[in-house]
Amino acid sequence: MIRTALKTIFAHKLRLALTAMSVVLGVGFIAGTFIFTDTIDNTFSDLFEDVFQGQDVIVQGEAEFDVGFSGPPPIADTVLDTVLAVPGVEAAEGSVGGFAVISDKNGEAIVPTGPPTLGGSWTTDERLTGNITLRDGRAPMGSDEVTVDAATAGDNDLAVGDVVQIQTPMGVNDYEIVGVVGFGESDNLAGATFAGFDLATAQELFDMQGQYSSIVVLAEDGVSPELLSTAIATALPEGIEAVTAADEAEDQSEALQESLGFLRTALLVFALVAVFVATFIIQNTFRIIVRQRQRELALMRAVGATPSQVVWMVVVEALLIGVIASAIGILFGFLVAGGLTSAMSAAGFDLPSSTAPLAVRTIVIGLTVGIIVTVLSALLPALRASKIPPVAALQDTEVTLRMSDRKRTLGGAVGLVAGAALIGSGLAGNELGPINELLSVGIGALFIFLSVSLLSSLIVKPVARFLGWPLPKIDNLTGTLATENTIRKPRRTATTASALMIGLALVAFFFILGDSIKASAGSAIEEGLRADYVVSVDGFSGGFSPALGEDLAGRPEISAVTSLRFGFWDRDGNDEFLMAVDTTTIDETIFLDVQQGSIAALGDGGVFVFDEIAKDEGWVLGDTVAMGLATTGLQQVEIVGTYAESNVVQANFLVGQDFYAENFSGFGTDVDFVLAVKAADGVASDTAREVVEGAAAGYGNVTVRDQVEYRQSQEDQVNTILVMFNALLALAVIIAIFGITNTLALSVFERTREIGLLRAVGMSRRQVRRMVRWEAIIVAIIGSILGIVVGLFFGVAVTAALASQGIDVLSIPAIQIVGLVLFGAVAGLVAAILPARKASRLNILEAIAYE
Amino acid sequence: MERGAKLYGTGDTTVRALDGIDVAFERGQFTAIMGPSGSGKSTLLHCIAGLDSLTSGQVFVGDTELNTLSDKDLTLLRREKVGFVFQAFNLIPTLTARENILLPLLIAGDDHDSAWFDQVVGILGLSDRLSHRPSELSGGQQQRVAAARALVARPEIIFADEPSGNLDSKASAELLSFLARAVKEFGQTIVMVTHDPGAASYSDHVVFLEDGKIAGELNAPTAESVIDRMKQFGG
Repeated sequence: MIRTALKTIFAHKLRLALTAMSVVLGVGFIAGTFIFTDTIDNTFSDLFEDVFQGQDVIVQGEAEFDVGFSGPPPIADTVLDTVLAVPGVEAAEGSVGGFAVISDKNGEAIVPTGPPTLGGSWTTDERLTGNITLRDGRAPMGSDEVTVDAATAGDNDLAVGDVVQIQTPMGVNDYEIVGVVGFGESDNLAGATFAGFDLATAQELFDMQGQYSSIVVLAEDGVSPELLSTAIATALPEGIEAVTAADEAEDQSEALQESLGFLRTALLVFALVAVFVATFIIQNTFRIIVRQRQRELALMRAVGATPSQVVWMVVVEALLIGVIASAIGILFGFLVAGGLTSAMSAAGFDLPSSTAPLAVRTIVIGLTVGIIVTVLSALLPALRASKIPPVAALQDTEVTLRMSDRKRTLGGAVGLVAGAALIGSGLAGNELGPINELLSVGIGALFIFLSVSLLSSLIVKPVARFLGWPLPKIDNLTGTLATENTIRKPRRTATTASALMIGLALVAFFFILGDSIKASAGSAIEEGLRADYVVSVDGFSGGFSPALGEDLAGRPEISAVTSLRFGFWDRDGNDEFLMAVDTTTIDETIFLDVQQGSIAALGDGGVFVFDEIAKDEGWVLGDTVAMGLATTGLQQVEIVGTYAESNVVQANFLVGQDFYAENFSGFGTDVDFVLAVKAADGVASDTAREVVEGAAAGYGNVTVRDQVEYRQSQEDQVNTILVMFNALLALAVIIAIFGITNTLALSVFERTREIGLLRAVGMSRRQVRRMVRWEAIIVAIIGSILGIVVGLFFGVAVTAALASQGIDVLSIPAIQIVGLVLFGAVAGLVAAILPARKASRLNILEAIAYE
Repeated sequence: MERGAKLYGTGDTTVRALDGIDVAFERGQFTAIMGPSGSGKSTLLHCIAGLDSLTSGQVFVGDTELNTLSDKDLTLLRREKVGFVFQAFNLIPTLTARENILLPLLIAGDDHDSAWFDQVVGILGLSDRLSHRPSELSGGQQQRVAAARALVARPEIIFADEPSGNLDSKASAELLSFLARAVKEFGQTIVMVTHDPGAASYSDHVVFLEDGKIAGELNAPTAESVIDRMKQFGG
């Protein structure tokens, strides 16, 4: 008896650990997301504090609209005198900043992934430089000297005295490194490269002669920055503002946090998927526990426990698991955050290795989610437990407390219809009260998952029979037994498989969506790209000097060069993307499928609108679009045309380069993003390519691609995103695999006598292991198939909804889909390792004597 | 079994479940092992059936010495040379009666002798029950399926542990007379553990066990003679 009791407790421990594991992983993902994004937030607020250290007031152009990428217009250098004349100003100096790419000794561009490549003027007044200090050498003087940040110097073996090529909007030139700069304790500005020139050189390189990006001001002792900023502001002409350095640091930090908000939300969505999967595991575990403890619970009822006391018993166990697992999960969050940080750094985003302190918010959310999820998942099984009649204590037979198949079918069908309707409505762009379209799609997907899980227990039998059908031929008896075991408790198998379904459905969905995007873009690029070559910027360095385009346009082998630049504007409070194009050459390089108006008109100002958008908005030629621009404020821009082919320009709004130059300023707006290059008639492609490659060679951060390569590069981009999404889904899949392990372990425990009997009549340990493995594989493949079916539905629905956005080809990647089934089988195999070992090691005598 | 001993625990708390037993079960005989609770009769059965191992001494099934066998060889021995009928939970619930009967052969992946199968099933009255699952069979039918399973692989020896323990008197009589018939007609060797003198009366030979030692033997037992004998133990 004591041995049995100990065994039960041991089995209990494993069960607790496996159940808790799903909560730990889910909560860990949530906590990790918060810790990770908090770390980034801290990094940047520290950084901005560093940058503005020693400065009291910043004078800069005032932006009416706060949109990404472009900024307020530069200010005239005469403003400096105005500022210096304000009483209380101790010192003030103007500065400019812009785009600059440093090359290493081999002429290769040093381009970090993500952070920008910055250039700027060197502040000469030491009282104003704050934490920006020379670690080595001296300040730059003259048109051929530069300082570089310590990280760039250190990583690329550059030192004072070396001569390097630097690309600026004015082209590529040689500069001698005269100083190496540190930023407080950091070697660089959050991963950005930085080239410092003297003011006159910087103004020339960034085409800002007689202008400043901003003026930094130091207050006299005893003068408060707040008062000084007010005093300066009153002296300034309209359109120029004076803000305290502290406010500016906070503003910039907040702007960055806002853009990080998207990252946080995206990560949290994946974390919630993981938590959702965990609920299946917890619910299944508790259902099995209740079933195994049926007699014990019935005995409790027989000796006078009320149904609510029985519920309470089960819930308390869930509560305990919830509390412990959530607490461990929050700690696990640090590991997740570390993983995200290394993933980012592998992608080139260098972040400090120190993590932010654990915020109270992280603890509260982690605990709340973990506990609520665990308790809610256990509630249904607990309620069922309370319905066990006391008489069950005296009977050996199992009391079935399952929902009837009819109710199940009805519930599942209603859920499916509701889910499909919500998804359809969301994809059509409808908002339902406070629920926006994305949330509507999300809730719809939730309904679909729950309904499929509910319905799947009805199909477990035929599907398992079908999957298990070849097994007796490969592995006679163990195969038959495994198949029958999956069918015994269809609900259990269904829930276990459903947990795997969720992750794999999303993987399948992304595969299908990605493949459709690739197929659509591929055919569209064939149609839309008339240019022979596309010169585009590597990574995220923003762009490259327009000098390259000008150079190419002048070559006799080239007939047309179209430069593309991008920007953001404020459309009714939201950032909207636009692309600026060369209206004089675009006809030769990019097919826009113009529906109305003419490209020539776009050259004189105005905007081209993507046909679908114009139709949706009811816009016609001659209407105006209210564009909120950071540099020039609100502009009423006339619609001068519509176009139906957006796969190459990848924007719903197009403007001419002149309009862009007038209305956009700031880092990266004075460089080209993409060049579409058309070779002259009769020029051999080899020759043309040599010309383009040759011209681009001096620009370390550009790549030349022909049409096929360009198409491939677009596909690669989609693939990269797919890999990222699938990596984020990995945790949800891992939780599901734990779920299979847990269910199998519990089932093995439940079938102790049966396994003992099989062993007694001559089944070998190996055969027992095989039996458990086959069972796991069948369950996992059912999960994969369900996932693929649901993923197909999502993929078809979303692709259909995006048809107007240019994703008009539905492509189903057969190899990946088949791969998912194989993956399921392998996942099952892995999940079975522990339970199979446990089953094979059962002591026969104890197994027979069990209970 | 020669000088078979089975000890549980160590030191003062040592329990001698089997205390140096020499016992042999003749081929083609139906032997019953009897004894009060705790006399070691189940342990004896488990040890000679290769389900448990002796602390000291030797066990032979035919010419095979069990102590030296690996787990794998013991598994093969149970599969090929030994048949089992337990008191309860004899059958795999997911398999049909037919599959349960053929279980050892299915595990081995062997073909069965269908004439022999038909004969066994016929004698046991299971012919029209073969496609049923255990849950659809009565307790007596379930035990007869278990007996058929033990017989169909033609093992050297069948071990039955209280095979009629859970049955009513009619089903019990049916099962036991079948076992006796298997010994007489087919020359099967059967060793049965029981505490029921009525059940023991179906056997050819009774071995009495007390405190892990052989306390006596009886040939051609009847229920009365067994009861008389048991009274001598004061139990």
